[in-house]
Amino acid sequence: MRGRVFKRGIEHKKARWGWIFIIPSLIFFSLFSFYPIFNALYTSLFRKKLLSLNPPRFVGIDNYIYLLQSPEFWNSIRATVVFTIGTFIPMVVCSLIFAIFIMSRKRFQKFFQMAYYSPAVLSSVVVAAIWLLILDPRGLSNQLINFIFHTPGVDHKWLASSVMVQISTMLVYFWKYVGYFTIIFLVGLASIPQSIHEAAKIDGVNAWTGFWYITLPLLKPTTILVSIMSMLQCLKTFSTQYLFTQGGAPMEPINVITLNLYYTAIRYHRIGLASAMSLILFSMMLFFTWFQFKLSRSDEVSY
Amino acid sequence: MVNSMKLKGKREKAFKASSIIDIFIWIFLIIAAMYILAPFVFMFTASAMPASDIMKMPYRWIPRDFYWKNYWQGIRGNDGSFIYLRNILNSLIVASTVTATTVLLSALTGFGLAKYQFKGRYLVFMMILATMMIPFEVIMIPLYLIITKLGFQNSYPGLITPFLVSAFGIFLMRQYFITFPDEILDAARIDGASEHMIFRKIILPNSIPAIATLSVLTFKSQWDNLLWPLLVAQSEEMKTIPLYIVRFTAEKHTDEGAMMAVAAIASIPILILFFRLSKYFIGGAAIFSGRKG
Repeated sequence: MRGRVFKRGIEHKKARWGWIFIIPSLIFFSLFSFYPIFNALYTSLFRKKLLSLNPPRFVGIDNYIYLLQSPEFWNSIRATVVFTIGTFIPMVVCSLIFAIFIMSRKRFQKFFQMAYYSPAVLSSVVVAAIWLLILDPRGLSNQLINFIFHTPGVDHKWLASSVMVQISTMLVYFWKYVGYFTIIFLVGLASIPQSIHEAAKIDGVNAWTGFWYITLPLLKPTTILVSIMSMLQCLKTFSTQYLFTQGGAPMEPINVITLNLYYTAIRYHRIGLASAMSLILFSMMLFFTWFQFKLSRSDEVSY
Repeated sequence: MVNSMKLKGKREKAFKASSIIDIFIWIFLIIAAMYILAPFVFMFTASAMPASDIMKMPYRWIPRDFYWKNYWQGIRGNDGSFIYLRNILNSLIVASTVTATTVLLSALTGFGLAKYQFKGRYLVFMMILATMMIPFEVIMIPLYLIITKLGFQNSYPGLITPFLVSAFGIFLMRQYFITFPDEILDAARIDGASEHMIFRKIILPNSIPAIATLSVLTFKSQWDNLLWPLLVAQSEEMKTIPLYIVRFTAEKHTDEGAMMAVAAIASIPILILFFRLSKYFIGGAAIFSGRKG
């Protein structure tokens, strides 16, 4: 009897300590994650200006209606979607190829891992600054393209033409993150038991069939993970576009939602409108995530 | 006899095909590595060249001699204020403080969630995980208003407060602690150790790999942070490295060599960290795909 009371006492005490350990973080998240998300929702229903003395005016969903009728905001949605699709699909495909190729090497695995990963540790601003010079009319990119295609002296307008500047931002982002996702794929590949490959080899399965029918299906959880992670990152892209526009590139083709959001909030002080914008971005992220999950599940039926 | 010859021929053919593929893969990997590494080489070589050499076609990859003036110019700034040094210091202060609090609070919370039974534990964990879904861009305006209300704008607390602890860190720490044997903790309790002593003397010293991973990832992300300082740091004295680079790049008369010198100075600390602790960087990238949790 006494033993039980003693034990319950210990459990009780332990439970209390558990709460003590998590309370600081809990307070933090309530203040700096949960409250802000509801606050953003609330603010988006008001016409509110930063630093303005006028009290915010309730306007219902007018901010959303305004945004969905504004060609400028639709341009931002277009820029974001084009950038996302143009970046994350090549990124997933190439990082998978890189990972499989690296995995097939017996030597220099470590070197390639380190080399491919290294851009991910640089600041995005540094990355954008380097590429700003590489993409300069007199820079390396023109030299390389003109060397390959034997077209000396042609300027491909990497930062000037509206199509090329979009491709340039994709190229920069791809460069920075492809190695990061290669690493994730490598871990996924390493977790596939070696015995499966050996069994397939004994059964006379060639490398290509083995890849298509064994490795790829087993790698599916990793592929889903990588595609969702990279897609969400692309939807949030900011630094490259910001520095490019600061460095003189045209704003309109690469005016992604986050950039538009920043200018709306900080330059024009329209907090209500910016909050509505951020929530539209958030719902886009949730929608695309849901869409990818759905897509991958419908795939599963065919197996 | 005939049969075996046929087999040999087949094997030779197979060998040839596989060696061609092999060579192709090597070439592919090497070209990809060149694409990845060339901008690094460009940054460091250009930082040691006068601007007239950088923008010369074709680009000469080897500097004639080390052109120190770029680094001097980059640190001095176009206006001669040496504000970059202060901005580097700011970045160091913010990144290290955030790293310290994130590690400490994540470890504490992760330990609480992993090793204590209490009502609502699962719910709390799920709520913390749910915050990972909320992108920073969505909550940054309300955060900015909170920070302004607290009077923290344009100050270190303002730069630091929203990043005191991270949901990812808690997740990482919890996954790490959950495999820690309960017997050791109970033995310590029987010996009279208090709970916070257990945390300090047993848990923390035994979780160096997880702490190192979380530290490098947190430090890196703060070193890289642009959006938040852009909102909070208004005066030049409070700006961090990324903001300085943006300003320096946007200035009309910025010399390309000095621009690369500034970029190189910003990258060297993080690259050294990466080469020394690459294990933790790469391990950190792979946490989500691990099959453990």
